[in-house]
Amino acid sequence: MSVQEKLIDIIAEQLSVDKDKVVPGASFIDDLGADSLDLVELIMAMEEAFDIEIADDVAEKITTVQHAIDHVNKVAG
Amino acid sequence: MKLPPLTIGKFTAQVPLVQGGMSIRVSTSALAVPVAECGGIGTIGGSAIPVEELQADIRKAKAATKGIIAVNIMFAMKNFYSLVQGSIEAGVDMIVTGAGFSRDIFKIGKETNTPIVSIVSSPSFAMLAEKLGAAAIVVEAKEAGGHLGTTVPLRELFPEIRKVVKKVPLIAAGGITNGFEMAEMMDKYGADGVQIATRFVLTKECSVADSFKQAMLHARKEDIALIKSPVGLPGRAIRTPFVEKLLSQADLKAKECKYKCLKKCDHVYCISDRLTAACEGNIEDGLVFSGENVFKMKEILTVREVFDQFVSQAESMYKEPGVTYPGAVAQ
Repeated sequence: MSVQEKLIDIIAEQLSVDKDKVVPGASFIDDLGADSLDLVELIMAMEEAFDIEIADDVAEKITTVQHAIDHVNKVAG
Repeated sequence: MKLPPLTIGKFTAQVPLVQGGMSIRVSTSALAVPVAECGGIGTIGGSAIPVEELQADIRKAKAATKGIIAVNIMFAMKNFYSLVQGSIEAGVDMIVTGAGFSRDIFKIGKETNTPIVSIVSSPSFAMLAEKLGAAAIVVEAKEAGGHLGTTVPLRELFPEIRKVVKKVPLIAAGGITNGFEMAEMMDKYGADGVQIATRFVLTKECSVADSFKQAMLHARKEDIALIKSPVGLPGRAIRTPFVEKLLSQADLKAKECKYKCLKKCDHVYCISDRLTAACEGNIEDGLVFSGENVFKMKEILTVREVFDQFVSQAESMYKEPGVTYPGAVAQ
């Protein structure tokens, strides 16, 4: 499974949304209905799935599906 | 019955009373030191002041008391980590944080052996804070002053969080004005302590301008309003002329952003300027954050008198046989 596919699964599960809504341009808050707790939990799920650590200041910049894909590709790729 | 002490990490406060941190420069060492001397936890408001100023104030406080000195820093601050690291370097005993949720803070706490106290307003964040290593959790309900994370009253919110927090002390905050309510929260609701803030502004020791205290002293129930803060949270404040203008949608934008203090700011008004103005005595243009029950407080006391009053009232009820507490109190 590619990073993108794996991330889409994680995001869909964490935010309880359909996978087809998890498109690269989607904003977690504005398009996928995430609240502040969802965002923290999503970041923690990403850390676990890809065995990476995401600091607060990096996490704050991950606001869309594309940001998440880019970040994981950068650090875990 | 005598109130139990409150142990947070390696620190034990003989009186389970935490003075809530109030920025900007509302709770400084001038207030935190006497609170710590009385056996409570004194908290310096560490948001939106220069790191050097905060460090100097922490050092001053630590030199003046052997009691417990905490600092409260909002996660929403752009220089959150500098303020946290600076506070730890200056020897602060513990860090209290809210207004957003940092995970890194718990790592910093572990690395430096500094207890981290999380202010939360929901069961889910309380569970997360406990899981990540918070040394204590403050449940701040809608009655609190300043930035708010909930619209739920304390007596509804607290039990929900009490159910899920098992390992660390849980502290009740928001609208507590006397020792009877302190006993109620500890005895009936199972709080390990309470946090109060507004009551401590109305003390001789609090270093804000006298007009700030007078604005609180004269506030009636209807003079308290909810406003939007540029921090991105609602805030509870006194209806000063500035707040009236804000509520009537007047354009209050600052000409320039002098402080660049927040990570995200909507620039509707400059909160740093407005809080500072009030603290220095300009109530007309200032923002006076205040708890919902400020109207119940009618006098300026010394910190010692506040402690004596809270402790004697609380101990007259706490775990005493035959004491019954009212149901959810209509405010």
